Amino acid sequence: MPDIVTTDRLAKRYREHPVVHDLDLRIPEGCVYGFLGPNGSGKSTTMKMLLGLVRPSSGEIRIGGRPMRRSTRRELLGGIGSLIETPPGYGHLTGRENMRLVQRLLGLGDGQVARAVRTVRLQDHLDKKVRAYSLGMKQRLGIAMALAREPRLLILDEPTNGLDPAGIEEIRGLLRRLAGDGVTVMVSSHLLGEIDRTATVLGILGGGRLLFQGTRAELFARSAPDVLIDTPDPAYAHSLLSGGFESRLDGTSVRLAGLDDRATAKAVAHLVGAGVDVHGVRRGERSLEDVFMDLTGGGGL
Amino acid sequence: MIGRAVANEFAKMRGLRVAAVAGTLIACTAGLSLLTAVTAPAFADPAGERSWEPLLASMALAVPLASPVLLAVLASRQVDIEHRGGGWLLSQTSGITPGRLCRIKFAALGCVVSAATALQSLLLIGAGVLLGVAAPVPVGAWAGYTASVAVVNLVLLALHVLVSARVDNQLVGLGLGVLGSVLAATATGLPPWLAHTFPWGYYALATAADYRDGALVMLAPDHSAVAALGAAGAALFLLATALFDRRED
Repeated sequence: MPDIVTTDRLAKRYREHPVVHDLDLRIPEGCVYGFLGPNGSGKSTTMKMLLGLVRPSSGEIRIGGRPMRRSTRRELLGGIGSLIETPPGYGHLTGRENMRLVQRLLGLGDGQVARAVRTVRLQDHLDKKVRAYSLGMKQRLGIAMALAREPRLLILDEPTNGLDPAGIEEIRGLLRRLAGDGVTVMVSSHLLGEIDRTATVLGILGGGRLLFQGTRAELFARSAPDVLIDTPDPAYAHSLLSGGFESRLDGTSVRLAGLDDRATAKAVAHLVGAGVDVHGVRRGERSLEDVFMDLTGGGGL
Repeated sequence: MIGRAVANEFAKMRGLRVAAVAGTLIACTAGLSLLTAVTAPAFADPAGERSWEPLLASMALAVPLASPVLLAVLASRQVDIEHRGGGWLLSQTSGITPGRLCRIKFAALGCVVSAATALQSLLLIGAGVLLGVAAPVPVGAWAGYTASVAVVNLVLLALHVLVSARVDNQLVGLGLGVLGSVLAATATGLPPWLAHTFPWGYYALATAADYRDGALVMLAPDHSAVAALGAAGAALFLLATALFDRRED
Protein backbone atom coordinates (compact mmCIF):
# COMPACT_ATOMS: atom_id res chain seq x y z
CA MET A 1 0.00 0.00 0.00
CA PRO A 2 1.46 3.45 -0.90
CA ASP A 3 2.26 5.93 1.87
CA ILE A 4 -0.09 8.90 2.03
CA VAL A 5 2.23 10.79 4.39
CA THR A 6 6.00 10.67 4.29
CA THR A 7 8.50 12.89 6.03
CA ASP A 8 12.23 12.96 5.47
CA ARG A 9 14.52 14.09 8.28
CA LEU A 10 11.77 16.41 9.52
CA ALA A 11 12.97 18.62 12.35
CA LYS A 12 11.76 21.59 14.35
CA ARG A 13 13.73 23.83 16.66
CA TYR A 14 12.45 26.80 18.63
CA ARG A 15 15.50 29.04 18.92
CA GLU A 16 18.15 26.61 20.16
CA HIS A 17 15.63 24.19 21.66
CA PRO A 18 15.05 21.15 19.44
CA VAL A 19 11.51 19.74 19.64
CA VAL A 20 11.49 17.22 16.78
CA HIS A 21 14.58 15.49 15.38
CA ASP A 22 15.01 13.89 11.95
CA LEU A 23 11.60 12.28 11.75
CA ASP A 24 11.03 9.80 8.92
CA LEU A 25 7.31 9.05 9.11
CA ARG A 26 5.68 6.58 6.75
CA ILE A 27 1.89 6.45 7.01
CA PRO A 28 0.33 3.87 4.69
CA GLU A 29 -2.90 4.83 2.95
CA GLY A 30 -6.06 3.50 4.57
CA CYS A 31 -4.55 2.67 7.96
CA VAL A 32 -5.20 3.98 11.45
CA TYR A 33 -1.79 5.31 12.45
CA GLY A 34 -1.40 5.51 16.21
CA PHE A 35 1.05 8.29 17.01
CA LEU A 36 2.19 7.66 20.54
CA GLY A 37 4.47 9.38 22.95
CA PRO A 38 4.62 10.95 26.39
CA ASN A 39 3.42 14.52 26.85
CA GLY A 40 5.96 16.93 25.40
CA SER A 41 7.49 14.36 23.05
CA GLY A 42 6.72 16.46 19.96
CA LYS A 43 3.51 14.83 18.71
CA SER A 44 1.46 18.03 18.40
CA THR A 45 4.34 19.93 16.81
CA THR A 46 4.75 17.14 14.26
CA MET A 47 1.04 17.14 13.47
CA LYS A 48 1.05 20.91 13.10
CA MET A 49 3.97 20.64 10.69
CA LEU A 50 2.05 18.04 8.66
CA LEU A 51 -0.82 20.53 8.43
CA GLY A 52 1.48 23.39 7.44
CA LEU A 53 0.63 25.29 10.64
CA VAL A 54 4.23 25.23 11.83
CA ARG A 55 7.21 25.64 9.53
CA PRO A 56 9.76 22.83 9.76
CA SER A 57 13.30 23.91 10.60
CA SER A 58 14.54 21.29 8.15
CA GLY A 59 13.37 18.23 6.28
CA GLU A 60 10.48 17.64 3.94
CA ILE A 61 6.84 16.59 4.19
CA ARG A 62 4.94 14.90 1.39
CA ILE A 63 1.19 14.41 1.47
CA GLY A 64 -0.12 12.10 -1.23
CA GLY A 65 3.24 12.42 -2.95
CA ARG A 66 3.15 16.23 -3.08
CA PRO A 67 5.40 18.43 -0.97
CA MET A 68 3.66 20.43 1.76
CA ARG A 69 4.83 23.99 1.20
CA ARG A 70 3.41 27.47 1.59
CA SER A 71 2.45 27.41 -2.09
CA THR A 72 0.70 24.01 -1.94
CA ARG A 73 -0.66 24.24 1.60
CA ARG A 74 -4.15 25.51 0.85
CA GLU A 75 -4.76 22.95 -1.89
CA LEU A 76 -3.42 20.06 0.18
CA LEU A 77 -5.45 21.12 3.23
CA GLY A 78 -8.57 20.66 1.11
CA GLY A 79 -8.00 16.92 1.40
CA ILE A 80 -7.00 16.82 5.06
CA GLY A 81 -9.40 16.97 7.98
CA SER A 82 -7.95 17.74 11.37
CA LEU A 83 -8.66 18.25 15.01
CA ILE A 84 -5.74 19.86 16.82
CA GLU A 85 -5.63 20.85 20.49
CA THR A 86 -9.13 21.76 21.73
CA PRO A 87 -12.18 20.92 19.59
CA PRO A 88 -13.33 23.96 17.61
CA GLY A 89 -16.84 25.38 17.87
CA TYR A 90 -18.37 28.80 18.43
CA GLY A 91 -20.28 28.49 21.72
CA HIS A 92 -22.81 31.22 20.93
CA LEU A 93 -23.95 29.39 17.78
CA THR A 94 -25.75 26.08 17.42
CA GLY A 95 -24.09 22.95 16.07
CA ARG A 96 -25.97 23.45 12.81
CA GLU A 97 -24.76 27.05 12.50
CA ASN A 98 -21.19 25.94 13.17
CA MET A 99 -21.45 23.30 10.46
CA ARG A 100 -22.89 25.89 8.10
CA LEU A 101 -19.81 28.10 8.65
CA VAL A 102 -17.56 25.24 7.54
CA GLN A 103 -19.90 24.43 4.65
CA ARG A 104 -19.89 28.03 3.39
CA LEU A 105 -16.15 28.52 3.82
CA LEU A 106 -15.22 25.36 1.94
CA GLY A 107 -18.09 25.49 -0.55
CA LEU A 108 -19.44 22.08 0.50
CA GLY A 109 -22.76 20.54 -0.41
CA ASP A 110 -25.62 19.79 1.99
CA GLY A 111 -25.04 16.06 1.49
CA GLN A 112 -21.41 16.26 2.60
CA VAL A 113 -22.37 18.06 5.81
CA ALA A 114 -25.26 15.68 6.52
CA ARG A 115 -23.00 12.63 6.03
CA ALA A 116 -20.34 14.05 8.36
CA VAL A 117 -22.93 14.79 11.04
CA ARG A 118 -24.43 11.31 10.73
CA THR A 119 -20.99 9.72 10.92
CA VAL A 120 -20.41 11.22 14.36
CA ARG A 121 -24.07 10.67 15.32
CA LEU A 122 -24.72 14.29 16.17
CA GLN A 123 -27.82 14.80 14.04
CA ASP A 124 -30.15 14.99 17.05
CA HIS A 125 -28.17 17.73 18.80
CA LEU A 126 -27.60 20.20 15.99
CA ASP A 127 -30.06 22.80 17.23
CA LYS A 128 -28.42 23.12 20.63
CA LYS A 129 -25.98 25.95 21.33
CA VAL A 130 -22.44 24.55 21.36
CA ARG A 131 -21.80 26.07 24.77
CA ALA A 132 -24.37 23.57 26.09
CA TYR A 133 -22.55 20.59 24.53
CA SER A 134 -20.68 18.05 26.65
CA LEU A 135 -16.96 17.62 25.91
CA GLY A 136 -17.73 14.43 23.99
CA MET A 137 -20.27 16.23 21.82
CA LYS A 138 -17.77 19.05 21.19
CA GLN A 139 -15.20 16.45 20.10
CA ARG A 140 -17.75 14.88 17.77
CA LEU A 141 -18.69 18.27 16.33
CA GLY A 142 -14.98 19.00 15.76
CA ILE A 143 -14.59 15.67 13.98
CA ALA A 144 -17.74 16.36 11.91
CA MET A 145 -16.22 19.71 10.87
CA ALA A 146 -13.05 17.86 9.87
CA LEU A 147 -14.98 15.15 8.02
CA ALA A 148 -17.34 17.43 6.12
CA ARG A 149 -14.75 18.02 3.39
CA GLU A 150 -14.58 14.23 2.91
CA PRO A 151 -10.83 14.08 3.48
CA ARG A 152 -8.48 11.32 2.42
CA LEU A 153 -6.46 11.95 5.55
CA LEU A 154 -7.74 12.76 9.01
CA ILE A 155 -5.31 14.06 11.65
CA LEU A 156 -6.61 13.92 15.22
CA ASP A 157 -4.55 15.19 18.14
CA GLU A 158 -5.54 13.38 21.33
CA PRO A 159 -9.25 13.19 20.44
CA THR A 160 -10.04 11.14 23.55
CA ASN A 161 -8.54 13.67 25.98
CA GLY A 162 -10.94 14.29 28.84
CA LEU A 163 -13.56 11.83 27.62
CA ASP A 164 -15.19 9.21 29.85
CA PRO A 165 -14.76 5.50 28.96
CA ALA A 166 -17.98 5.49 26.91
CA GLY A 167 -16.80 8.54 24.97
CA ILE A 168 -13.39 6.94 24.36
CA GLU A 169 -15.04 3.76 23.07
CA GLU A 170 -17.27 5.83 20.81
CA ILE A 171 -14.25 7.59 19.26
CA ARG A 172 -12.51 4.22 18.80
CA GLY A 173 -15.55 2.87 16.98
CA LEU A 174 -15.65 5.99 14.83
CA LEU A 175 -11.99 5.63 13.86
CA ARG A 176 -12.55 2.00 12.88
CA ARG A 177 -15.57 2.96 10.75
CA LEU A 178 -13.63 5.74 9.04
CA ALA A 179 -10.72 3.43 8.25
CA GLY A 180 -13.26 0.94 6.91
CA ASP A 181 -14.48 3.68 4.56
CA GLY A 182 -10.94 4.19 3.25
CA VAL A 183 -9.97 7.30 5.23
CA THR A 184 -6.41 7.29 6.54
CA VAL A 185 -6.50 8.32 10.18
CA MET A 186 -3.52 9.59 12.13
CA VAL A 187 -4.41 9.75 15.79
CA SER A 188 -2.13 10.78 18.62
CA SER A 189 -2.27 9.81 22.25
CA HIS A 190 -0.01 9.65 25.26
CA LEU A 191 -1.88 6.55 26.43
CA LEU A 192 -1.19 3.38 24.50
CA GLY A 193 -4.32 1.64 25.78
CA GLU A 194 -6.53 4.26 24.14
CA ILE A 195 -5.50 3.42 20.60
CA ASP A 196 -3.77 0.06 20.94
CA ARG A 197 -6.71 -1.92 19.57
CA THR A 198 -7.67 0.67 16.98
CA ALA A 199 -4.35 1.45 15.33
CA THR A 200 -3.02 -0.82 12.61
CA VAL A 201 0.34 0.94 12.47
CA LEU A 202 2.11 2.55 15.40
CA GLY A 203 4.65 5.34 15.53
CA ILE A 204 6.26 5.96 18.90
CA LEU A 205 7.89 9.27 19.65
CA GLY A 206 10.15 10.00 22.61
CA GLY A 207 12.10 13.20 23.16
CA GLY A 208 11.25 14.33 19.64
CA ARG A 209 12.72 11.19 18.04
CA LEU A 210 10.88 8.35 16.33
CA LEU A 211 11.67 5.36 18.53
CA PHE A 212 9.60 2.87 16.61
CA GLN A 213 7.40 2.67 13.54
CA GLY A 214 5.61 -0.43 12.38
CA THR A 215 2.84 -2.88 13.20
CA ARG A 216 1.89 -4.03 16.67
CA ALA A 217 3.48 -7.43 15.98
CA GLU A 218 6.73 -5.79 14.90
CA LEU A 219 6.74 -3.75 18.07
CA PHE A 220 6.45 -6.90 20.18
CA ALA A 221 9.14 -8.66 18.20
CA ARG A 222 11.53 -5.76 18.70
CA SER A 223 11.56 -5.95 22.44
CA ALA A 224 12.57 -9.33 23.91
CA PRO A 225 10.36 -10.36 26.85
CA ASP A 226 11.93 -10.85 30.30
CA VAL A 227 13.41 -14.24 31.24
CA LEU A 228 11.89 -15.93 34.32
CA ILE A 229 13.99 -18.51 36.17
CA ASP A 230 12.11 -20.77 38.58
CA THR A 231 14.22 -21.91 41.49
CA PRO A 232 13.53 -23.09 45.06
CA ASP A 233 15.72 -20.27 46.45
CA PRO A 234 14.98 -17.18 44.36
CA ALA A 235 16.51 -14.76 46.87
CA TYR A 236 19.90 -16.50 46.69
CA ALA A 237 19.65 -16.76 42.90
CA HIS A 238 18.84 -13.03 42.71
CA SER A 239 21.87 -12.18 44.89
CA LEU A 240 24.07 -14.20 42.56
CA LEU A 241 22.71 -12.67 39.38
CA SER A 242 22.21 -9.04 40.35
CA GLY A 243 25.89 -8.25 39.91
CA GLY A 244 25.97 -9.10 36.22
CA PHE A 245 22.36 -8.90 35.09
CA GLU A 246 19.29 -6.68 35.45
CA SER A 247 17.62 -8.96 37.97
CA ARG A 248 14.65 -8.67 40.32
CA LEU A 249 12.54 -11.02 42.38
CA ASP A 250 9.13 -11.94 40.96
CA GLY A 251 7.30 -14.26 43.41
CA THR A 252 9.04 -17.63 43.34
CA SER A 253 11.07 -16.66 40.26
CA VAL A 254 13.89 -14.36 39.35
CA ARG A 255 13.04 -11.97 36.49
CA LEU A 256 15.89 -10.94 34.18
CA ALA A 257 15.36 -8.12 31.69
CA GLY A 258 16.97 -7.52 28.31
CA LEU A 259 18.52 -10.98 27.81
CA ASP A 260 18.96 -12.65 24.45
CA ASP A 261 19.31 -16.43 24.22
CA ARG A 262 23.11 -16.45 24.69
CA ALA A 263 22.89 -14.26 27.80
CA THR A 264 20.09 -16.46 29.14
CA ALA A 265 22.31 -19.56 28.81
CA LYS A 266 25.10 -17.71 30.59
CA ALA A 267 22.81 -16.76 33.51
CA VAL A 268 21.58 -20.33 33.88
CA ALA A 269 25.15 -21.69 33.75
CA HIS A 270 26.15 -19.20 36.44
CA LEU A 271 23.37 -20.40 38.74
CA VAL A 272 24.05 -24.09 38.10
CA GLY A 273 27.75 -23.51 38.65
CA ALA A 274 26.93 -21.97 42.05
CA GLY A 275 24.89 -25.04 43.00
CA VAL A 276 21.46 -23.42 42.60
CA ASP A 277 18.70 -25.76 41.41
CA VAL A 278 17.01 -24.46 38.27
CA HIS A 279 13.52 -25.88 37.82
CA GLY A 280 12.46 -23.89 34.81
CA VAL A 281 13.48 -21.15 32.39
CA ARG A 282 10.86 -19.34 30.31
CA ARG A 283 10.10 -16.05 28.60
CA GLY A 284 7.53 -13.91 30.40
CA GLU A 285 4.43 -12.31 28.94
CA ARG A 286 4.84 -8.63 28.06
CA SER A 287 2.05 -6.21 27.59
CA LEU A 288 2.30 -3.67 24.83
CA GLU A 289 2.29 -1.05 27.57
CA ASP A 290 5.55 -2.53 28.94
CA VAL A 291 7.13 -2.36 25.51
CA PHE A 292 5.97 1.22 25.10
CA MET A 293 7.35 2.13 28.52
CA ASP A 294 10.68 0.55 27.61
CA LEU A 295 10.90 2.48 24.39
CA THR A 296 9.93 5.82 25.85
CA GLY A 297 11.80 5.36 29.08
CA GLY A 298 8.49 5.58 30.91
CA GLY A 299 8.45 9.34 30.60
CA GLY A 300 5.24 11.09 31.37
CA LEU A 301 3.00 8.04 31.43
CA MET B 1 -13.10 32.19 -0.60
CA ILE B 2 -12.64 35.70 0.83
CA GLY B 3 -16.26 36.61 0.07
CA ARG B 4 -17.48 33.43 1.75
CA ALA B 5 -15.25 34.11 4.76
CA VAL B 6 -16.66 37.65 5.08
CA ALA B 7 -20.18 36.21 4.88
CA ASN B 8 -19.19 33.84 7.69
CA GLU B 9 -18.16 36.79 9.84
CA PHE B 10 -21.65 38.25 9.44
CA ALA B 11 -23.08 34.83 10.37
CA LYS B 12 -20.86 34.75 13.48
CA MET B 13 -22.28 38.14 14.52
CA ARG B 14 -25.56 36.41 15.36
CA GLY B 15 -25.88 36.27 19.11
CA LEU B 16 -22.94 38.63 19.68
CA ARG B 17 -25.26 41.64 19.84
CA VAL B 18 -23.18 43.42 17.22
CA ALA B 19 -26.31 45.13 15.90
CA ALA B 20 -27.12 46.29 19.43
CA VAL B 21 -23.61 47.71 19.94
CA ALA B 22 -23.73 49.42 16.53
CA GLY B 23 -27.19 50.74 17.42
CA THR B 24 -25.81 52.06 20.72
CA LEU B 25 -23.02 53.79 18.80
CA ILE B 26 -25.58 55.49 16.57
CA ALA B 27 -27.97 56.31 19.40
CA CYS B 28 -25.22 57.66 21.68
CA THR B 29 -23.60 59.91 19.11
CA ALA B 30 -26.82 61.11 17.47
CA GLY B 31 -28.66 61.47 20.80
CA LEU B 32 -25.82 63.22 22.61
CA SER B 33 -25.22 65.50 19.62
CA LEU B 34 -28.87 66.44 19.44
CA LEU B 35 -29.12 67.04 23.17
CA THR B 36 -26.04 69.27 23.13
CA ALA B 37 -27.19 71.15 20.05
CA VAL B 38 -30.75 71.92 21.11
CA THR B 39 -29.56 73.32 24.44
CA ALA B 40 -27.00 75.59 22.77
CA PRO B 41 -27.85 79.30 22.45
CA ALA B 42 -26.82 79.13 18.76
CA PHE B 43 -29.76 76.81 18.17
CA ALA B 44 -32.29 79.09 19.84
CA ASP B 45 -33.82 79.85 16.48
CA PRO B 46 -33.73 76.68 14.33
CA ALA B 47 -34.95 78.61 11.34
CA GLY B 48 -31.78 80.73 11.49
CA GLU B 49 -29.12 80.74 8.77
CA ARG B 50 -26.44 79.01 10.91
CA SER B 51 -28.50 76.37 12.65
CA TRP B 52 -26.54 73.46 11.15
CA GLU B 53 -23.35 74.68 12.80
CA PRO B 54 -24.34 73.83 16.40
CA LEU B 55 -25.37 70.39 15.20
CA LEU B 56 -21.98 69.87 13.55
CA ALA B 57 -20.19 71.20 16.62
CA SER B 58 -22.15 68.93 18.93
CA MET B 59 -21.19 65.92 16.79
CA ALA B 60 -17.56 66.86 17.29
CA LEU B 61 -18.20 66.48 21.03
CA ALA B 62 -20.30 63.30 20.98
CA VAL B 63 -18.42 61.23 18.40
CA PRO B 64 -15.02 61.22 20.16
CA LEU B 65 -16.70 60.47 23.49
CA ALA B 66 -18.74 57.46 22.39
CA SER B 67 -16.90 55.93 19.42
CA PRO B 68 -13.59 54.64 20.87
CA VAL B 69 -15.20 52.51 23.59
CA LEU B 70 -17.89 51.10 21.33
CA LEU B 71 -15.35 50.31 18.59
CA ALA B 72 -13.32 48.42 21.18
CA VAL B 73 -16.42 46.47 22.21
CA LEU B 74 -17.28 45.59 18.60
CA ALA B 75 -13.76 44.37 17.79
CA SER B 76 -13.43 42.50 21.06
CA ARG B 77 -16.69 40.57 20.63
CA GLN B 78 -15.89 39.56 17.07
CA VAL B 79 -12.32 38.46 17.84
CA ASP B 80 -12.78 36.89 21.26
CA ILE B 81 -14.97 34.13 19.79
CA GLU B 82 -11.92 32.88 17.90
CA HIS B 83 -9.90 32.60 21.12
CA ARG B 84 -12.71 30.80 22.93
CA GLY B 85 -13.90 28.62 20.05
CA GLY B 86 -10.58 27.42 18.65
CA GLY B 87 -11.41 29.43 15.56
CA TRP B 88 -7.84 30.44 14.67
CA LEU B 89 -6.80 26.82 14.11
CA LEU B 90 -10.10 25.92 12.44
CA SER B 91 -9.57 28.74 9.95
CA GLN B 92 -5.92 27.89 9.43
CA THR B 93 -6.74 24.29 8.59
CA SER B 94 -9.30 25.63 6.11
CA GLY B 95 -6.62 27.74 4.41
CA ILE B 96 -7.26 31.08 6.13
CA THR B 97 -4.24 32.27 8.06
CA PRO B 98 -4.65 34.29 11.30
CA GLY B 99 -3.59 37.53 9.60
CA ARG B 100 -6.05 36.98 6.79
CA LEU B 101 -8.79 36.20 9.30
CA CYS B 102 -8.06 39.56 10.98
CA ARG B 103 -8.37 41.31 7.63
CA ILE B 104 -11.65 39.50 6.95
CA LYS B 105 -12.98 40.49 10.37
CA PHE B 106 -11.96 44.07 9.71
CA ALA B 107 -13.80 44.00 6.37
CA ALA B 108 -17.02 42.71 7.96
CA LEU B 109 -16.88 45.01 10.99
CA GLY B 110 -15.75 47.88 8.78
CA CYS B 111 -19.03 47.61 6.85
CA VAL B 112 -20.97 47.82 10.11
CA VAL B 113 -18.91 50.75 11.42
CA SER B 114 -19.05 52.67 8.12
CA ALA B 115 -22.82 52.18 7.92
CA ALA B 116 -23.23 53.27 11.56
CA THR B 117 -21.09 56.37 10.99
CA ALA B 118 -23.10 57.36 7.92
CA LEU B 119 -26.37 56.63 9.69
CA GLN B 120 -25.55 58.75 12.73
CA SER B 121 -24.86 61.71 10.44
CA LEU B 122 -28.04 61.14 8.43
CA LEU B 123 -30.06 60.78 11.64
CA LEU B 124 -28.80 64.11 12.88
CA ILE B 125 -29.60 65.79 9.56
CA GLY B 126 -33.09 64.24 9.72
CA ALA B 127 -33.51 65.49 13.29
CA GLY B 128 -32.41 68.98 12.23
CA VAL B 129 -34.98 69.05 9.45
CA LEU B 130 -37.68 67.80 11.83
CA LEU B 131 -36.75 70.50 14.35
CA GLY B 132 -37.29 73.12 11.67
CA VAL B 133 -33.81 73.97 10.42
CA ALA B 134 -34.66 75.76 7.20
CA ALA B 135 -31.17 76.57 5.88
CA PRO B 136 -29.75 74.26 3.24
CA VAL B 137 -27.59 71.44 4.61
CA PRO B 138 -23.88 72.33 4.28
CA VAL B 139 -23.32 69.12 2.36
CA GLY B 140 -19.59 69.63 1.83
CA ALA B 141 -18.79 70.24 5.49
CA TRP B 142 -21.13 67.51 6.66
CA ALA B 143 -19.89 64.90 4.17
CA GLY B 144 -16.28 65.84 4.86
CA TYR B 145 -16.74 65.47 8.59
CA THR B 146 -18.61 62.17 8.22
CA ALA B 147 -15.97 60.76 5.87
CA SER B 148 -13.16 61.84 8.19
CA VAL B 149 -14.87 60.29 11.21
CA ALA B 150 -15.38 57.10 9.21
CA VAL B 151 -11.64 56.97 8.41
CA VAL B 152 -10.64 57.56 12.05
CA ASN B 153 -13.20 54.97 13.19
CA LEU B 154 -11.84 52.41 10.72
CA VAL B 155 -8.24 53.04 11.80
CA LEU B 156 -9.23 52.58 15.45
CA LEU B 157 -11.26 49.50 14.55
CA ALA B 158 -8.20 48.00 12.85
CA LEU B 159 -6.11 48.77 15.94
CA HIS B 160 -8.65 47.07 18.20
CA VAL B 161 -8.91 44.01 15.94
CA LEU B 162 -5.13 43.63 16.22
CA VAL B 163 -5.07 44.15 20.00
CA SER B 164 -7.96 41.74 20.57
CA ALA B 165 -6.32 39.13 18.35
CA ARG B 166 -2.89 39.49 19.94
CA VAL B 167 -3.97 39.66 23.59
CA ASP B 168 -6.37 36.97 24.80
CA ASN B 169 -7.53 39.07 27.75
CA GLN B 170 -10.16 41.30 26.19
CA LEU B 171 -10.04 43.73 29.10
CA VAL B 172 -6.83 45.09 27.59
CA GLY B 173 -8.63 46.14 24.40
CA LEU B 174 -11.58 47.54 26.29
CA GLY B 175 -9.25 49.48 28.60
CA LEU B 176 -7.53 50.91 25.55
CA GLY B 177 -10.95 51.98 24.26
CA VAL B 178 -11.74 53.83 27.49
CA LEU B 179 -8.33 55.50 27.41
CA GLY B 180 -9.00 56.41 23.77
CA SER B 181 -12.27 58.10 24.70
CA VAL B 182 -10.50 60.23 27.29
CA LEU B 183 -7.73 61.13 24.84
CA ALA B 184 -10.21 61.89 22.06
CA ALA B 185 -12.34 64.07 24.30
CA THR B 186 -9.34 66.08 25.48
CA ALA B 187 -7.72 66.35 22.05
CA THR B 188 -9.85 69.33 21.01
CA GLY B 189 -8.06 71.39 23.66
CA LEU B 190 -4.60 70.30 22.53
CA PRO B 191 -2.36 72.03 20.00
CA PRO B 192 -2.93 70.46 16.55
CA TRP B 193 0.66 69.15 16.34
CA LEU B 194 0.03 67.13 19.50
CA ALA B 195 -3.31 65.82 18.24
CA HIS B 196 -1.46 64.45 15.20
CA THR B 197 0.62 62.14 17.39
CA PHE B 198 -2.07 59.65 18.42
CA PRO B 199 -4.99 58.25 16.38
CA TRP B 200 -7.72 59.45 18.73
CA GLY B 201 -6.50 63.00 18.22
CA TYR B 202 -7.64 62.90 14.61
CA TYR B 203 -11.28 63.26 15.68
CA ALA B 204 -10.32 66.76 16.78
CA LEU B 205 -8.47 67.44 13.50
CA ALA B 206 -11.63 66.48 11.57
CA THR B 207 -13.85 68.89 13.50
CA ALA B 208 -15.87 71.11 11.13
CA ALA B 209 -17.43 73.47 13.66
CA ASP B 210 -16.55 74.36 17.22
CA TYR B 211 -16.71 77.07 19.84
CA ARG B 212 -13.77 79.47 19.96
CA ASP B 213 -13.75 82.03 22.80
CA GLY B 214 -17.45 81.35 23.34
CA ALA B 215 -18.39 81.91 19.69
CA LEU B 216 -19.46 79.18 17.28
CA VAL B 217 -17.22 79.15 14.21
CA MET B 218 -16.78 76.97 11.16
CA LEU B 219 -13.29 75.44 10.96
CA ALA B 220 -11.11 74.18 8.17
CA PRO B 221 -10.72 70.50 9.03
CA ASP B 222 -7.38 68.90 8.27
CA HIS B 223 -8.73 66.26 5.88
CA SER B 224 -5.29 65.59 4.42
CA ALA B 225 -4.01 64.62 7.88
CA VAL B 226 -6.94 62.25 8.28
CA ALA B 227 -6.25 60.78 4.84
CA ALA B 228 -2.60 60.32 5.82
CA LEU B 229 -3.74 58.57 9.01
CA GLY B 230 -5.93 56.28 6.89
CA ALA B 231 -3.05 55.44 4.56
CA ALA B 232 -0.61 54.85 7.41
CA GLY B 233 -3.21 52.82 9.31
CA ALA B 234 -3.88 50.64 6.27
CA ALA B 235 -0.17 50.03 5.71
CA LEU B 236 0.49 49.21 9.36
CA PHE B 237 -2.56 46.93 9.54
CA LEU B 238 -1.41 45.00 6.47
CA LEU B 239 2.09 44.74 7.90
CA ALA B 240 0.89 43.62 11.33
CA THR B 241 -1.49 41.01 9.90
CA ALA B 242 1.28 39.73 7.64
CA LEU B 243 3.45 39.33 10.75
CA PHE B 244 0.62 37.41 12.44
CA ASP B 245 0.92 34.85 9.65
CA ARG B 246 4.57 34.32 10.49
CA ARG B 247 3.96 33.77 14.20
CA GLU B 248 4.19 30.28 15.60
CA ASP B 249 2.74 29.67 19.05
